[in-house]
Amino acid sequence: MDFHQLWTIVSTPDNVPIVLMLFVVPFYTWYGLRQSFANDRLIAQLEADPVMAKTHHRKTQPYRPGWAREVHVWPYLLRIEFLAAIILTVILMVWSITLNAPLEEPSNPTLTMNPSKAPWYFLGLQEMLVYFDPWMAGVVMPSLIIVGLMVIPYIDTNPLGNGYYTFKQRKFSILTFIFGFIVLWVSMIVIGTLIRGPGWMWFWPGTTWDHNRLIFEVNRDLPDIFGITGRVAKIIFGAIVVGLYLVAAAIGIHKLITKTPFNRKIYARMSVLQYVVMQTFLVIMLALPVKIMARLLFRIKYVWVTPWFNI
Amino acid sequence: MTDQEKDPVVHSSLSKALFIWSAVLVLSMVWGLWDEMYGIRPWKAYQARFEKLYSRYIHDLRTPEAKHEQQIKASPEYKELDAAMRTAEEAARPDAMKIKAQVDDLVPKIQALNEPFQEVRSHIGALTYQIEVTRSESSKESLRKQIEELKAETHKVKLPGPSEQMMTFPQMDQQLQDWKKEKAKLLQQNVEVMAKATALRKQRDEYLSDRIADASTTTLDSVDASLANFDVRIRQIHIKDVDLVDRCESCHLGTREPVVLTAAAMGGNEVFASHPNKELLKIHDPENFGCTPCHGGNGAALSSVEKAHGYNKYWLWPMHHKENIDAGCQQCHSKEIVTEMADTLNAGREIFRLRGCTGCHRYEGFDREADEIASVNQQIHQYDQQKAEWKREIGFTEEKADNPKISNAEAQKLYAHANDLRVRSSGLDAKIEQLDMRAVSLVREVKKVGPSLKEVRMKLRKEWIPEWLKDPHKWREGTKMPTFRLDDDERKAIAAFIWQSGLQGQLPQQKPGDPEKGKEAFETRGCMACHSMGEGGEKEGGTFAANLSREGEKANYDYIVRWVHNPRQRTAPYCAYEKRDLTEDDYKKHGQPYVFDLDHDKCPNDGHVLQVQQMTPMPNLRLTEDEARDISSYLMTRKHDGVTYEDAGYMDDPALKNKGLDKVRFYGCAGCHEISGLEEEQRIGTELTKEGSKPIERLDFALLGHKAEDEGWLTHKGFFEHKLENPAVYDQGKEKAKQDRLKMPNFNFSKPEIDAVTTLLEGSVDATVPPRYFYSPADQRQDIIDGWWVVRKYNCMGCHKVHVGQTTTFDALTRYQDPDWRDQKPPTLIGEGARVNPEWLMRFLNNPSLSDTDTNRDGVRQYLKVRMPTFSFSEGEIRKIVRFFAALSAQAEPFIPEKLEPITEQERTMARQLFSSEGAPCLKCHMTGDAAHDARATAPNFTVAKERLQPGWVKRWILDPALISPGTAMPSGLFVRQGDHWAFSGPTPPSFNGYTKDHADLLVRYMFSFTPEELGRLRASAGK
Repeated sequence: MDFHQLWTIVSTPDNVPIVLMLFVVPFYTWYGLRQSFANDRLIAQLEADPVMAKTHHRKTQPYRPGWAREVHVWPYLLRIEFLAAIILTVILMVWSITLNAPLEEPSNPTLTMNPSKAPWYFLGLQEMLVYFDPWMAGVVMPSLIIVGLMVIPYIDTNPLGNGYYTFKQRKFSILTFIFGFIVLWVSMIVIGTLIRGPGWMWFWPGTTWDHNRLIFEVNRDLPDIFGITGRVAKIIFGAIVVGLYLVAAAIGIHKLITKTPFNRKIYARMSVLQYVVMQTFLVIMLALPVKIMARLLFRIKYVWVTPWFNI
Repeated sequence: MTDQEKDPVVHSSLSKALFIWSAVLVLSMVWGLWDEMYGIRPWKAYQARFEKLYSRYIHDLRTPEAKHEQQIKASPEYKELDAAMRTAEEAARPDAMKIKAQVDDLVPKIQALNEPFQEVRSHIGALTYQIEVTRSESSKESLRKQIEELKAETHKVKLPGPSEQMMTFPQMDQQLQDWKKEKAKLLQQNVEVMAKATALRKQRDEYLSDRIADASTTTLDSVDASLANFDVRIRQIHIKDVDLVDRCESCHLGTREPVVLTAAAMGGNEVFASHPNKELLKIHDPENFGCTPCHGGNGAALSSVEKAHGYNKYWLWPMHHKENIDAGCQQCHSKEIVTEMADTLNAGREIFRLRGCTGCHRYEGFDREADEIASVNQQIHQYDQQKAEWKREIGFTEEKADNPKISNAEAQKLYAHANDLRVRSSGLDAKIEQLDMRAVSLVREVKKVGPSLKEVRMKLRKEWIPEWLKDPHKWREGTKMPTFRLDDDERKAIAAFIWQSGLQGQLPQQKPGDPEKGKEAFETRGCMACHSMGEGGEKEGGTFAANLSREGEKANYDYIVRWVHNPRQRTAPYCAYEKRDLTEDDYKKHGQPYVFDLDHDKCPNDGHVLQVQQMTPMPNLRLTEDEARDISSYLMTRKHDGVTYEDAGYMDDPALKNKGLDKVRFYGCAGCHEISGLEEEQRIGTELTKEGSKPIERLDFALLGHKAEDEGWLTHKGFFEHKLENPAVYDQGKEKAKQDRLKMPNFNFSKPEIDAVTTLLEGSVDATVPPRYFYSPADQRQDIIDGWWVVRKYNCMGCHKVHVGQTTTFDALTRYQDPDWRDQKPPTLIGEGARVNPEWLMRFLNNPSLSDTDTNRDGVRQYLKVRMPTFSFSEGEIRKIVRFFAALSAQAEPFIPEKLEPITEQERTMARQLFSSEGAPCLKCHMTGDAAHDARATAPNFTVAKERLQPGWVKRWILDPALISPGTAMPSGLFVRQGDHWAFSGPTPPSFNGYTKDHADLLVRYMFSFTPEELGRLRASAGK
């Protein structure tokens, strides 16, 4: 165990937000879910008792006669937010005093630093470059992420869950978010920051980042594994495989969506266009972990090799 | 309602949390403020401490200083000066007072009038500007009118006193001018009145300051005053055009203080000490040079010591450590081999040159000869091309001019042009001739670090070679040859190649000499200026060349005799054009005798200049053959007893030769040695000219990177030091084939040597300052730079003192500690440029015996046992040395001898009498040409003085020789000052009565009209 190395990585001022993220993201996910489950229980209780629902205050605690059904934002919410603002200011203050900007040496165009890393918030994208062709990882995927986020309000036909935490009523949305954000985005940032060392090689936390390290790793294109050599043959083969994936993924996702009666209800409300758009993004999102697995487990470089793009 | 029943959102109080967090917020803000004021500005604390310590120190200093000053002030001399000053002041006072009263009356008047005057003038100025920018002529006219009106207007002027006047602008102007003139006149009068008193005051103050060594009370007073106004602020040097900001003095406050501060004086705070070398600081004024260009570090950083000194990871120019402090000199003084006041750096450069680093590593500036050859050839080529081009143009021009269609005037113009080109072309011929001569010179100037390996078969014992290759340092401690990490096969192959590639030559059989005499000659002829003898603690002599304690074990006697007799003698000339050694057949083919020396250095096959000398700096001592045999016999006795060498029959195995050739190429042996067939080998190492600024990532620490980082030597300095200590260090733990391993051999450097070389490399950087800071003077100082290279190349400093403070090998030799031998040391050359006639010096350097027939002697100091050898300097080298000495003494060039007043017959007689008088026993020490006398003489013959010396120097010398050469046998105080001239201090012959001219001058003039006949007369009159 090289604690010195570990400390160097986690104490770099640039990495501090990610170390914080390691704790903060799971905590708030848990905290939010806890509130959601409590609310879900309350919803179930109130649905079972329509009389009580008319008078009951919308709080997760058991019913108390004297409690207000609703409270004012001022002062009851704002005073809590004010306290939070103070605490946050203190944290920022102390942070800014104790940690300086992580400046390094003047840039030298003839010398690339190793590992050379993007700012922490872009490390997820950089990590994606390992698995995809730069055109995909650098341009197509980021664009899809942005467009996908923009599209959400238009395809979300579920009217429930506004203004309160709930899991049951938004199970699909929450799970998709957890998958897309925590699994695909945060964990990629964490890998890019803490695990990728010199030569963008995989270094488990606690091992020394050795610049002399050499590893033997040969990645091959899927058509090569199957012994397909012709250019056109490769293109056709790749298209078939990718097509198969798309179909399989779409069916799988459709099965998942229509599994529960609640979701079926939502599904019924969606137009074809909404559904197709959603499917497209989900299938592409799922492609990311599939490709990562293919690379890490089977050493597959690209599936679909064409002169214009590689997937 | 119980508490439990209350709604927590509505009823729970946040006051406590709000209060606590608000308090924490305030605290963090206080912390932030403190951090802003002091936390990230540690220099403030330094400044406060400095002020306290400095005030205390000044206070402590003042007491004894003041007492001393009081003593001086109490002395009658001071009192006299003081009284004189006061009297003069008193005398001038009434006049001065009168003047002062007048001035005092004038000043308020001028002030009072000035105000309204300025007001009107500025109004006129504004109107004039309006005229200038207005386009229409009519508005201009109206503005001009306004100005006229303004000038005519009267203004109320309130002058001191009751009067109130009405004045127009021209009146005011006139009045003001008059008053100002009057004031200037009065002030000038005041200066004149006070002149005497002022001069006396200056005299008195100088008397005081001359007698106080350290800071005088005036200095202390000024320091006190500055401390009283001491303000805590960033002290920075800003040099605009370099974009340099150095704030070092924000903590290092004592650096430039007028009072010298030591760490001890400042309570052990080294940070406040003054700069240790004020002289250096005077040359490199921090206001122009800053601090970091020399010292390194981050001049702008103030937040921590580590950052300011540049020792954080990302600062590319960390401060040089104490042991490498001279590294900072190198970036601007990179063209020099000797930089004054940079001893460590000089040592590093000397090691770099002498130990053969340049054999493998290119370093710009260290390959002076090779680089110059390349540039000379390039220039010759260019001129040749230019000539050809002009020749073509001449042809075309004349052809055009011959054309009948062209007018006469045009044709004449063309012919003139063609003629111009011919003249210019002939000018090129002169240039090419000079360059050709330089090229010939340069062939002579190129030297090798190690001996030629072409002659091993004649020179060496065969079995010794593989033994030597094992570990040269074990066999001969401190040798230049480094230890290569060779395995047995490699060693044998290399030995076999060297042996088989050696020239086959015949040496004349030498009869044995006398080792006893040889030992004496070895120790007194000057061999030991470069060579050392004895091992371990008994080692004595110079380190420039090999230690000869085991010479008898390795060498062949016949060869050593030839070598000692003339080290430059070669077995076969080398033709760089054909890239081979010539044989007798080459000469025979062209019907030429097989003779090659400096006078016969052209290749019979192609006319190119041959290498006709051994490429060694070792000079010819002009010994007789007998003496050479004696010395060689002595050297052959120098060996360890009972050492056996393994049989080396394999060295004749032809199969090993090729393998050996590969290895010799691989290890770059030809970088230092002349080897047959490998004369044109390229260097095998990396260039080091800018090694100090190579990015640290490019220095291959290999597996030691993490260790280096942990131990804090992941720096250039660390890399160099570890590499020099153990050149194989970065192979540690590496799994590599033999041929991939690091090749650099081990030089067995000591710690100071490592520091010196590290200093050089650390300083070898891409300069951070603009080129105008580089030391490349256009005046005589350039001659000094060039001269040092030659002086170092031939180790002149082994025998001669060339600059003040230097010691020679002779100063350390046991034999020369004896008073009888002290005068046998070679002469000092300090001030040589002012001493000798440069034309003579050129002749002397070319042939130190100053004779074509009698060469077994020194030309000047024939009484010396030690010999000024013949170095076979090239013309270029002689020029450089002569100009070097001229520049060191700031002599004007070209040299024009001083004209002396001719000596009359009467004066000649007087001088002769003085020369031979009892009071001035000149001839007791100086040589006279009488063999019996000269054997005991310790000074040169006067007959050479005329040609050799410069009269000005001779006069300074005879007035006080100890000033020029402390410890000289020549007595001081021979002359005393009498009125306006120097007179001989001893009893003078009667003929001097009534002679009022300078006695020293007389002797100089006498010496410069000296002839051998006069010497005879002088000897006769001295009765010798």
